[in-house]
Amino acid sequence: MPAKLMIEVVKTRKTYAGAKQPAVDDVDLTIPQGTFFGLLGPNGAGKTTLLSIMSGLLKPDAGTLTVAGVNVSRNFDGVKRLIGVVPQELAVYPILTVRENLSFFGGMFGLRGKKLKARIAECVAIAALESFVDTRAEFLSGGLKRRLSLAAGLVHEPEILFLDEPTVGIDPQTRNFIYDSLNRLNSAGMTIIYTTHYMEEVEKMCNDIAIIDHGKIIARGTAAGLLAQYGANVVTIKAREAIPPATWRQLTADHAADLSVDGNIITLKSDGHQDALAEIMAKLRQHGVTIRSIHMGAENLEEMFLLLTGTSLRDGEAP
Amino acid sequence: MIFHKLWVMVVKELRVILRDKEALLILFALPVMFVTIMSLAQQDAFKEKGGVTLPVTVINKDAGKIGQGIIDALSGRKGFKVDVAAPGADEAAIKKDVAAGRLKFAIIIPADAAEKVDAGVKAQLGLSPSAAAVRVEFISDPSMQGTIRKIAISSINRILQGIETTALLEGVTRMNERMRRYPAGPKPADTPKQARLFAEIDDDHSAGNAPFPTSVQQNMPAWTLFAMFFLVIPLSATFVREAQQGSLVRLKSMPVPTWIFVAGKMVPYFIINQIQFVLMMLTGMYLLPLFGSEVLEIGHSWGGIALLAASASIAAIGYGLLIATFCKTGEQATTFGGTSVIILAAVGGIMVPKFVMPSYLQKMTAVSPMSWGLEGFLDIFVRNGTVAEAFPHSLRLLAFASICIGLAIFRLYQILSR
Repeated sequence: MPAKLMIEVVKTRKTYAGAKQPAVDDVDLTIPQGTFFGLLGPNGAGKTTLLSIMSGLLKPDAGTLTVAGVNVSRNFDGVKRLIGVVPQELAVYPILTVRENLSFFGGMFGLRGKKLKARIAECVAIAALESFVDTRAEFLSGGLKRRLSLAAGLVHEPEILFLDEPTVGIDPQTRNFIYDSLNRLNSAGMTIIYTTHYMEEVEKMCNDIAIIDHGKIIARGTAAGLLAQYGANVVTIKAREAIPPATWRQLTADHAADLSVDGNIITLKSDGHQDALAEIMAKLRQHGVTIRSIHMGAENLEEMFLLLTGTSLRDGEAP
Repeated sequence: MIFHKLWVMVVKELRVILRDKEALLILFALPVMFVTIMSLAQQDAFKEKGGVTLPVTVINKDAGKIGQGIIDALSGRKGFKVDVAAPGADEAAIKKDVAAGRLKFAIIIPADAAEKVDAGVKAQLGLSPSAAAVRVEFISDPSMQGTIRKIAISSINRILQGIETTALLEGVTRMNERMRRYPAGPKPADTPKQARLFAEIDDDHSAGNAPFPTSVQQNMPAWTLFAMFFLVIPLSATFVREAQQGSLVRLKSMPVPTWIFVAGKMVPYFIINQIQFVLMMLTGMYLLPLFGSEVLEIGHSWGGIALLAASASIAAIGYGLLIATFCKTGEQATTFGGTSVIILAAVGGIMVPKFVMPSYLQKMTAVSPMSWGLEGFLDIFVRNGTVAEAFPHSLRLLAFASICIGLAIFRLYQILSR
């Protein structure tokens, strides 16, 4: 039996006031129950906007969103209990203690009494905050605050957890802790939808990856599947110095469809790349460009991403 | 369930406020310090109000020259602006206007003033039995600051003394003339009698027999209202912080109606406002007298006071919510919120009492909700008003609050559904 669809996005579009390009442009997306879904993209690609639309927090200009079979535009309140959100900001009250924060957010979902106490204890355990329950959030380290933010998103036992770049700006230890916690939650059946621009995160955790650029989903699959599909027919040539403009113009004039140049890196994407490679090498020699290395195929998602979008994932840290 | 969520929201908000030392300072310590300093400082300053023009309405029932003489003397005196009521004017209506504060002072010259003065002069000269003194009635707006009223009374008494002296001199001149012409006629007594032609105006004739207003009665409600409205700063700062720290985003994902969010903000600040109010009143009643100030008299209408305190608080919270939801940064909210409250206080007769303002500024006070609250409290504290007198002021405050809260909910709904 096919897994139940937890998220179904159809022809969704969102353009912010004053923007020339849509932040999300006619996106169709379905996410089955139990998926650990990674939404990958460079800064400004539309990750947060798409995540906000999928979690019902942002109204799209067009398109429909269905969460667990419920049309969100008709009954958002009906699905709120199913959704947990861990926003990019810490989204907790610094002046309240860990317990008070969790008690407040649990209370907003109608939890009270023993049930609330039990959930607070469980979430504190998931986030390993046992030693800090009565510490104000403002006195926690950056990593502990992130863990509190995660616990606050889990307090009402959601079926779907949305996380918007939850590991930005935290130490490797906390990052690994969050990976482990999310993996355990996913193994227990929770659907997790996760945005990031850290490639190793999605390679490590996600069993379903979508790459978004300029508001469009440009690739979708598992890490291995994406590499197999998009990485095999690629040649990367690294020159010792930046490619001179005259060389760059001639190369792109001859191989416009298959070739991109980024500083000292030339990327060639072609099924019959042996002939093309020979031509390019000859031209580089002719223009006096010294080659440092030639690499066949994409070895990881980082390289594949560069091929697909022509840009690095880590061009600047702010999303 | 829904009230449980409201309770959770209120508890959270109270925790946030009570742990914010700066907010507590703004809400409690500063207003008490401020009102103490301002009341004591203004108490002295009010005693030196020399350059104020006092509007006086004169009801002249005297057909003789005494009534006109008083009017001429008043008109010629620097510091008075005389408005003579038309003959046959409704005396009761004028008294009512003074009692309500629409007119500041009025004097009523009795119909038989000239005859009584003549009789008094004769009595003084021993030519006839003693005569009753002329009783010029003086009434004043009960909210008029005491020292200003005393200056007015003293000035009018001096004018009456002047008229009395002139009348006596004229009487003596007439007597001498008569004695010269008719040496066998009646002789004046050896020693003139000490009786006065005019009864001295006492300082206890303000309209409505209400207790006299003091600087404390003006300042305490005024600065209390100012303190109540100053909650705009902590309220808007916490709201903007919630938006910036992302808590608002998390709240958006929760099944919480917008009204719970708004009510969750209103209830704690309402409680705080009421505590502020009681604290400020206690300061006026018990703390300020320790520094030599008058004791704050608060009238007799507990219901009226409660109604006004509640309405003013809801208006202040509504204004705070409006600022909080329309400002994008904490700096914007605190700067605009704080400045606008100071302007509303200045315009509304909080910083400078309304009655010392020029008339065009007095009219402008009507735009400030703080002025509505202040007038309401003065009605009760000074004019012995009841719930009925407080009600129109309360209604205006609640109408203002409804508009502000309506706009804030609309804005919040926009923010949450973006």
